[in-house]
Amino acid sequence: MRLTPRPVAGFLFIACSLAVVLALFTGCKKSSTRKEGEILIGFSSRDLSAEYTAKLSEAVVDYAKTKPGVRLVMVDAQSDAQKQLSQIENFISQKADVIILNPCELEASTPAVDRAKAAGIPIVLVNQVTKSAGDAYIGSNDVDAGHIAMEAIAKQLSGKGGVLMIHGIMGTSAQLQREAGAREVFAKYPGLKLVDHQTASWDRAKAMSLTENWIQAHRGKFQAIFAHNDEMAMGALLALERAGIKKEVYVIGIDAIAQALTAVKEGRLDATVFQDAVGQGQGAVDAALRLARKQPGAKENYIPFRLVTRDNVGEFLPKK
Amino acid sequence: MPSLDRNLLHRFGILIVILLIGLGLSLTTDTFLSLSNLTNVARQVSINGILAIGVTFVLLTAGVDLSLGAVVALSGVACATFAHPGEHNVTLPIFIGLATGAACGLTNGILVTKGGVAPFIVTLGMMTVARGLALIASGGRPVADMSPSLTNLAGDIFGIPIPLLCFAGVALLAWIFLRDFRLGRYIYAVGGNENAARAAGISVTKVKLFAYTTCGILTGLAGVVLAARTTTGQPNAGIAYELDAIAAVVIGGTSLAGGVGTVTGTILGVLLIGEINNGLDLLSVSSYYQAVIKGVIIVGAVWLDRRQSRS
Repeated sequence: MRLTPRPVAGFLFIACSLAVVLALFTGCKKSSTRKEGEILIGFSSRDLSAEYTAKLSEAVVDYAKTKPGVRLVMVDAQSDAQKQLSQIENFISQKADVIILNPCELEASTPAVDRAKAAGIPIVLVNQVTKSAGDAYIGSNDVDAGHIAMEAIAKQLSGKGGVLMIHGIMGTSAQLQREAGAREVFAKYPGLKLVDHQTASWDRAKAMSLTENWIQAHRGKFQAIFAHNDEMAMGALLALERAGIKKEVYVIGIDAIAQALTAVKEGRLDATVFQDAVGQGQGAVDAALRLARKQPGAKENYIPFRLVTRDNVGEFLPKK
Repeated sequence: MPSLDRNLLHRFGILIVILLIGLGLSLTTDTFLSLSNLTNVARQVSINGILAIGVTFVLLTAGVDLSLGAVVALSGVACATFAHPGEHNVTLPIFIGLATGAACGLTNGILVTKGGVAPFIVTLGMMTVARGLALIASGGRPVADMSPSLTNLAGDIFGIPIPLLCFAGVALLAWIFLRDFRLGRYIYAVGGNENAARAAGISVTKVKLFAYTTCGILTGLAGVVLAARTTTGQPNAGIAYELDAIAAVVIGGTSLAGGVGTVTGTILGVLLIGEINNGLDLLSVSSYYQAVIKGVIIVGAVWLDRRQSRS
């Protein structure tokens, strides 16, 4: 009796050999092309499948290409903090001159920062902070985003009414800070009531089901929905439209992704908050180069958020 | 017939849990029992329902399919890519979505039967491959701008949600097929005792290929319905959908060891999970507690059910 059918074994053998050869080739290419005096930047992106992060990462890569004598290697952590830690360890063993980290999580990505610092490699954090501070941070203060969004709601409702809040994944720094910003506004307007709040994990389909359930439970008791990102705001919007009550409810998200901007332009979504992905990406590369060349500069650089409504959406829509 | 009684008890066990929770919810909220909320629950369970019916076929053969969520995303992206307004007739994107699912299911089936690799490993591989392909095909961004004629598939006909009609149609076909068709009975035979089935002259390979491909087609259908519902093909949609689907099937009395299980059981399992999700939102239970309560109810329901059917 054969343990493995022969064709399968043969296939596996060929596949493995190919993988090894391929790995050797790419490995050689990387180490051999490193020129004297060239600055090597290692960049670990949180998750290229998330639209905002993809935009930011694209900006990092494109901007680094415009800088002479700089080579940037990008890897995708796919929202997995463990994977991100090994990526940073790989950058350390490749002797990167500087690392740009777009952390997966506040807590779980902290060891990655500590590891780089212990190895004496400067590390720039972009878009999200970790428990240990990096050598530089480029981002936007998410507390501001939550604040701006809730202020827009307060203004729309003249400081009085019921609000529903849809959280991102609980415990991520964006979720915690956006909620904190929103809570500041609730404290300011006693007439503004938080009717209910739940997580939809940044996910459109989940936000849609949640909003459908809320329409059943709280119909007539809420006049606005604040979603921690645009994907969830779009989900809430679709649920309200299907129920035919969008007119009664003001909906706002954060991030200004392409679809949300189009929806604002069409008068479907009321507003979103623009987070400057390109500004953050370029700022991260600038900070990384400054650290690699040991030049002085600000440790923290905040790129401001802006409210996008139908009046100013034209400035933010992608140019064709 | 003792086996029939056992079956009935199985169904009643879960039915009792569903009714008790329903009673509790109608006493604690004034909205749960309203027609609009029940329609709402029906709409929300449809996608998990279609997936659960599909994976019932695979579980009955003593296999498993962990790639459901990723294939949902891939089929949704494939469907949305061909669904831009004015480009194609609405049947093409639907067909593409179903075909994508079928291709994934068939590949799983071939690797399990001809390749002799364990279903757990094959479908785990398919899970990451399909997710990767969805990201490649979409460039990592949601595929938007879908034609209204397709997104209307998530709407209503005479007040009945179309996704629910899909679920009901699929469930009815599966019920008749598994009960009355020879191939349907073969699925039970293969799952119950593969060697005995082979000795009886059943082509185990064909039966399994059929089960995995059927599961794939239904996963593709779920992907199309989800894309219609969210009006986009999302490469990161459907994460962990396989867990809810498999949980529903197991709650419904299907054995993970294969050979035992019914479509009606699966439907009840799907309803129970949908009821819990809806009820926890209606009761404004905090996000942290929702996850804990859901897990406890699922395990509790299965425990109650198995205890009852033993006695």
